Amino acid sequence: MTKQLKLKIVTPERLILDEMVDQVSLPTTLGEITVLPEHIPLISGLASGDIVAYINGEQIPMAVVGGFIEVKKNESNITEVAVLADFAEHVSELNDTAIEKAKARAEELKTLMENKDHVDFEHFEAELERSLTRVKIADKWRTRKYRK
Amino acid sequence: MAGTKEIKRRIVSVKNTKKITKAMELVAASKMKHAISATISARPYSGYSWEVLGALSEYVSKSTHPLFALRKPEKLLIVLITSNKGLCGGYNSQAIKAALASLKANADKQIDFISVGKKGESMLGRLGQNIVASFNQVSEKPKLSEVLPIIKLMTQYYENAEYDQVFVASTSFFSAILQKANVEQLLPISKIETMETLEEMKTKTTRAPVDYVFEPDYESLMDIIVEKIVRTKFYQLILESNASEQSSRMVAMKNASEASGEMIDDLTLMFNKARQANITREISEISAGMVSA
Repeated sequence: MTKQLKLKIVTPERLILDEMVDQVSLPTTLGEITVLPEHIPLISGLASGDIVAYINGEQIPMAVVGGFIEVKKNESNITEVAVLADFAEHVSELNDTAIEKAKARAEELKTLMENKDHVDFEHFEAELERSLTRVKIADKWRTRKYRK
Repeated sequence: MAGTKEIKRRIVSVKNTKKITKAMELVAASKMKHAISATISARPYSGYSWEVLGALSEYVSKSTHPLFALRKPEKLLIVLITSNKGLCGGYNSQAIKAALASLKANADKQIDFISVGKKGESMLGRLGQNIVASFNQVSEKPKLSEVLPIIKLMTQYYENAEYDQVFVASTSFFSAILQKANVEQLLPISKIETMETLEEMKTKTTRAPVDYVFEPDYESLMDIIVEKIVRTKFYQLILESNASEQSSRMVAMKNASEASGEMIDDLTLMFNKARQANITREISEISAGMVSA
């Protein structure tokens, strides 16, 4: 059996994913990286985009926004990738109605942003980024095959 | 006789009250379950963020992040977390009491409040305290996005030096029957305490320290993580308060249901006694009538 790594995706609200995978591609603040088993320990910022885990030739895509990642060896000497995202969602959860909602929300937020003061502005900006990421990632994976 | 009718009416009314309190108890119990599982599922995130902070620990003391900045405390901000609804036992009054105690302890300083929840807001209003912001929209299943504006506001006040210390008065959840209100300092993040916690973590793990590669660099990572830690801490306080609210409501309603059960028993006994007295009197009247005839 080939070596695998443990992928954990957590948000402040809950644990989204905890699985053994073959490799994983992550959008960091410095660009996309792919982590394979036996990767050196690493801490890096996470950009918004999609995390793609590969398992038995299948792909598991997740939409994520903001946070950081930690790569290390855990107690049983398995490479562990912990993704601490502000927000994460499996792409299959982003179905068409959810996307339409996200799009509508993004539009609404854009108009709201024009007439709000600074405090609200940053809050809206974060929410806008979230909505836009969802739309973008959902569009990207619409025609591709992936494991649900 | 007049007595029996009245007692009967009271029994019916107490029975109705019991139905309501029983229903509220069940609702609160199921909400409490949700609230507790939400609190628990929020834990891994904070565990991991502390681990990452641990990896950055040698930079903690060097960090010049504005949220670490220690100032002479003159203007304080207290965030009071209470519920939007009543009927939850001592939950709100406990939190308010804790907040007022720290108000007294710092009587020589200027103190303003941010209120989360309607109950705290109205109480502070009655006491004539200065509320700078009031958030009543936090739902029963608080999402992170709902509390972000509160965190944003607090950190901004702190960074702009409008306040020198930020406290949170909230209720910690220990079990369904035990909750404690306390006041915790949220900002500035105490470097000493942070280092102590990190040291404690180090002694617990037997693993050798790992040499991490930092991308892009530790300074910008520090900025991210400090913000996340404050955010996670506050979010957890909100979650715990929510769990406490539901469980103290459940307990209060359980007590109310039990009390009404006892009341129904007492009233039933009274009703039976009154009825029996009636019958006895009627019989004696009839027999007295027969004797005289």
